[in-house]
Amino acid sequence: MDAKLNELTQNFGRFKAALIRNDFDTAANLLSDLKVMLTEFSSLPPLYQDTPNAAKELEVARDIYEHAVLLSVKTEDQDAFERDFFQLKHYYTDVRNRLPPSTQEYPILGLNLLRLLVQNRIAEFHTELELLSSAALENPCIKHAVELEQSFMEGAYNRVLHARQTVPHETYVYFMDLLAKTVRDEIAGCSEKAYDYLSIKDAQKMLLFPSERELLAYINEDHPEWEVKNGGVYFQKAKETAPCKEIPSLQLINQTLSYARELERIV
Amino acid sequence: MNYLFRRTPYFRLFVSLTLPLLLALYLPSSDLQRRLNPNRLRSLRPLNSSRYKMTQDVEMKEVPAPSNSVSSTTPTTLHYLKEIASLLETAAYSKEVRRVVRAVRLTMAKRRKLSVSVLSAFLSFAFSPGSEAHTRLSSYLPKDDEHDMDVDTATSATQAPKKHASPELEIYCYLLVLIFLIDQKKYSEAKACATAGIARLKNMNRRTIDVLASRLYFYYSLSYEYTGDLAEIRGNLLNLHRIATLRRDELGQETLLNLLLRNYLSYNLYDQAEKLRSKAPRFEAHSNQQFCRYLFYLGKIRTIQLEYTDAKESLLQAARKAPVAALGFRIQCNKWAVIVRLLLGEIPERTVFMQKGMEKALRPYFELTNAVRIGDLELFRTIADKFSNVFSSDGTHNLIVRLRHNVIRTGLRNISISYSRISLADVAKKLRLDSPNPVADAESIVAKAIRDGAIDATLDHANGYMVSKETGDIYSTNEPQAAFDTRIAFCLNLHNDAVRALRFPPNSHKEKESAEKRRERQQQEQELAKHIAEEDDDEF
Repeated sequence: MDAKLNELTQNFGRFKAALIRNDFDTAANLLSDLKVMLTEFSSLPPLYQDTPNAAKELEVARDIYEHAVLLSVKTEDQDAFERDFFQLKHYYTDVRNRLPPSTQEYPILGLNLLRLLVQNRIAEFHTELELLSSAALENPCIKHAVELEQSFMEGAYNRVLHARQTVPHETYVYFMDLLAKTVRDEIAGCSEKAYDYLSIKDAQKMLLFPSERELLAYINEDHPEWEVKNGGVYFQKAKETAPCKEIPSLQLINQTLSYARELERIV
Repeated sequence: MNYLFRRTPYFRLFVSLTLPLLLALYLPSSDLQRRLNPNRLRSLRPLNSSRYKMTQDVEMKEVPAPSNSVSSTTPTTLHYLKEIASLLETAAYSKEVRRVVRAVRLTMAKRRKLSVSVLSAFLSFAFSPGSEAHTRLSSYLPKDDEHDMDVDTATSATQAPKKHASPELEIYCYLLVLIFLIDQKKYSEAKACATAGIARLKNMNRRTIDVLASRLYFYYSLSYEYTGDLAEIRGNLLNLHRIATLRRDELGQETLLNLLLRNYLSYNLYDQAEKLRSKAPRFEAHSNQQFCRYLFYLGKIRTIQLEYTDAKESLLQAARKAPVAALGFRIQCNKWAVIVRLLLGEIPERTVFMQKGMEKALRPYFELTNAVRIGDLELFRTIADKFSNVFSSDGTHNLIVRLRHNVIRTGLRNISISYSRISLADVAKKLRLDSPNPVADAESIVAKAIRDGAIDATLDHANGYMVSKETGDIYSTNEPQAAFDTRIAFCLNLHNDAVRALRFPPNSHKEKESAEKRRERQQQEQELAKHIAEEDDDEF
């Protein structure tokens, strides 16, 4: 058993070195080897057998998955992130009292919250949030994500964008960039409903484009229904036309018939 | 959270049954009665609560205890239990689940009067002393003073020893001992007893046991909940649920599903709870109490997952269906329902908070509603801080945080109704947004509100103001018609549900109906054959 553990820690050391060198291909290969090795330890989930080295093995395994999550962020692979995170989560919940707390725990939990936010999985976001203690909610990493969600729901988008400068952890930048794109789409959606007209300059500032050309390209690609003329952007076309005054006869007939049928049943 | 367990099951019945019995017990203790019949004094002795010990000692000094005490309440309660036992035997013999339900209900009425002596006497009655079940069950009972034991063994010795106790009776004894232990707050013994009982259950597959089993599961979980070890039994409960599903024990499934949901939710594992709930088989509810609980848990899960409309429906239904006596449960339902309605943008009526017995418990939520109704962020914040203890103990703190957004919306709607044109700086001031750049924040907040349809307005970016649109005449749209339609649909549904509820319980008339049908069919066939024969005759 000890020999296996030693081999594991050695491989893990190599993996960590590759990660620091940003040599992602090597790191990914080493990681899959490590995961295969982890399956041989019976002290790990889902068996949780109480072997003599259990605590040590659990700790190493947790460390490995933490680094796996970080690797997935660096390689910008959201699916891998999700997979690794779910494997890691057991170490934070089920064997919490058997291990010393990890320094990486809150940053990674915050990162996961951010991921759910970026993928617009708000229901899961809140489900995860319920699992956290009030002490965890005070942690800057978690708080960051929670506040982002609030600002996002309220519509205070510049607060969301502003938050990019105050990221609590360097790994957060990737998701914050993704979030910026989502925010831009949201702003565009709101603008076309709220404004009749915006000058090109204002629109460019509001949608956070560095130049007019990029704004026009964006409009052409994502919002062809916007009209650009006289140095301004007009949203008239995007708004729905006046409600038609026609009587929805078919629907009414259906409803009346169903009432008649039900009444017949009663009488 | 005890009330959930304690109060819902047959509580009303329990009260109505126990009250006269308690009165009957208290009456003999009055002076008049004592003077009339000093021998009856002993009747007070075996009650288990310590409160009675005092009176007992005092009375002991007054009158020397009579030597002969056959007519004490021990035998009355015991007698009662024996009647229940015979009811169970009949049920086991005739395979009638209904009788078992009645036995359990009757037991609950006598719950407060169980004592060690009564129980051990009953155990000796049910099993032959020295048998395995007897020794095991009596080992859970705490030792009483010897005098009581003497009396009991004396009475039980006169009983003809039973040859073989039916499984129903055995499980019933487990249940009885378990309830007694929980009432006595002896949780570790209760846990051991419940575990042993469940181990016995695994080998029994009889429909008449299902009712008893479901009660046993319930108290099993309750005893673990009191000691805070719910997580330990999760695997066991899942196992039991699987067994119940295999045996088509629907009441057991229902109970176990609720216990599992409760188990998950007490650790905030909403994800797991929802996954289990959505995959567990559903069928028509057998017990109203279990159904209420299910609805409540469902409502909670849906609230967390932002399905507010469905959550509101489940929570309100749970509150309505719960028995009047289950006050704690209804308060909890109402608390959640209030928050969900606020999150939906509705303002609950004042009468919700003024329900009898709930005013005090719902007070924080009342003030919160008020803040949301006015749309004042500052007030909202102070109330959230003031009652933060209440909210976090109710587990609603995170939901309150979500409400902030609704407060802003309401404030914005008020502004949009009052002003036809207002500058964004004023909007920010009125909403009391505290941020480094309030005007820009206000602008994007207003823009989002417009897009979500919360207010009907347009923004003018160049001049920095918001123009509210004239509200159109709603009666010129299809809106009233649609509202009318939903109401009619609701009434018709209600009627249909009522008619459906009038029908007979499933399966009870199946055989008779099918026999009738067969007769009818045979008659028709005969007639048809006759017709054909006649036609044949005509042709000739």
